Amino acid sequence: MNITINGKETTLAENPARTVESLLEELDVAQRQYVTVELSGEILERDAFGNTPVQDGDALEFLYFMGGGR
Amino acid sequence: METPLRFDSLLVHGGLEPGPAGATSVPIVQSSAFAYETADALEDVFRGRAAGQVYTRLGNPTTEALERRLALLEGGGTAIATASGMAAITTTVMTIVRAGDEILASSSLFGGTFSLFRDTLANFGITARFVDPLDLESVRAAINDRTRLLFVETVGNPKLDVPDLPRLAEIAHQAGLPLIVDATVTTPYLADGAKLGADIVIHSTSKYINGSGTSIGGVIIDRGVFNWNTARFPHFEPFHKKYRQFAFTARARKLVHKDVGACAAPFNSFLLTEGIQTLALRMERHCSNALVLARFLTKHPKVAWVNYPGLEDAPGHGVATRLYGGRYGGLLTFGTGSKETAFRVINALRMAKNLANIGDAKTLVIHPASTICADYSLEDKALMGVCEDLVRVSVGIEAPQDIIDDFNQALDAI
Repeated sequence: MNITINGKETTLAENPARTVESLLEELDVAQRQYVTVELSGEILERDAFGNTPVQDGDALEFLYFMGGGR
Repeated sequence: METPLRFDSLLVHGGLEPGPAGATSVPIVQSSAFAYETADALEDVFRGRAAGQVYTRLGNPTTEALERRLALLEGGGTAIATASGMAAITTTVMTIVRAGDEILASSSLFGGTFSLFRDTLANFGITARFVDPLDLESVRAAINDRTRLLFVETVGNPKLDVPDLPRLAEIAHQAGLPLIVDATVTTPYLADGAKLGADIVIHSTSKYINGSGTSIGGVIIDRGVFNWNTARFPHFEPFHKKYRQFAFTARARKLVHKDVGACAAPFNSFLLTEGIQTLALRMERHCSNALVLARFLTKHPKVAWVNYPGLEDAPGHGVATRLYGGRYGGLLTFGTGSKETAFRVINALRMAKNLANIGDAKTLVIHPASTICADYSLEDKALMGVCEDLVRVSVGIEAPQDIIDDFNQALDAI
């Protein structure tokens, strides 16, 4: 499966059960309790992480308010 | 499922990550800036695509460890550690209000906060309205279309009034306003922000959280429960869009905290992570020593009056008992009839220190009318509950009998 994370092409093992929540865990994304996830240009509600599947071709952006700039 | 740690254990372990070489205390990362291998990696952090440190004004690993622990202690959310308690209040208010807005605040505030709201912020077109936080109808009536927040202290310093915070939270929330609570005097040990209904909790960490009077600091804890996506807060729209319930923290971090630059020093953050570990033990002793001293002073023939929420006939006793589980903090005030006798008592104390601070392990006293509140009119002092004979005592953790002996011999001097 190929997806784009923060603008970078990423290949992941096939896993039909993969959700945004499980992906955050799989990639060991920092500060999972605060990170904002943008899926194909739309901000994803936090309570939807667990039931939103990650599909081939998806583009995800992880956004932090801890960063240095705007 | 893993059982979450209890409060006393969070004080010691909360937010702690494995340190280098197995270090068990929080490492002091005394570095101004943080290097990245590639331009792409630093760009990702600046754009908020990756978590990371850039520059200590914006964030620092030692300070972040302190922030993680303090957020856990308030029942969750995110925290921003600042250079002082006043910096925490300033950053919070400047994040929420704009010129033309109003803030509604308790009239019984710490003198520094009163001055910030009434004088300093007035220069930037922000109007503060002060109301008695015990008079709920007055609070409700003072809210108008320009009000942007309600600000109260858990226990007024030094008035020692005890507002009913869950009721104030109801009033604020009905009007679509966040309740900002300065909980410095009670600390999360007496009650956390979740229990009090606070949306944002502020502490001067210089006080009980530090515990030994070794460093100045403050913290803002955004519990992530307030809805900023309303007509009162159009300036939060871009932050709410991206960061949802953490819109406040995002706006604070990306604008005010970053631009004002009142950041915590890493060494101070380290001292705070050390000091906070004993908060529960110290607060227990502060509370019991304060009750012992209050009872002693009540019976002393030269003492005209005593105010301590732990005394059964104190005005705040009922609310304090309900909100703070039978613990009433380490602050008390008393009077001996005049400024002159107040000075004589302070001058005669041998162990207690005469200084402008609270929350130290040592017993501290001050005469607020001639010091912290010296610049205010008699009318303003009355609003803040500061009368001419008032002596404020921050009761320390020494042997209770030594504290009593010290005040007993000092009172003999008048």
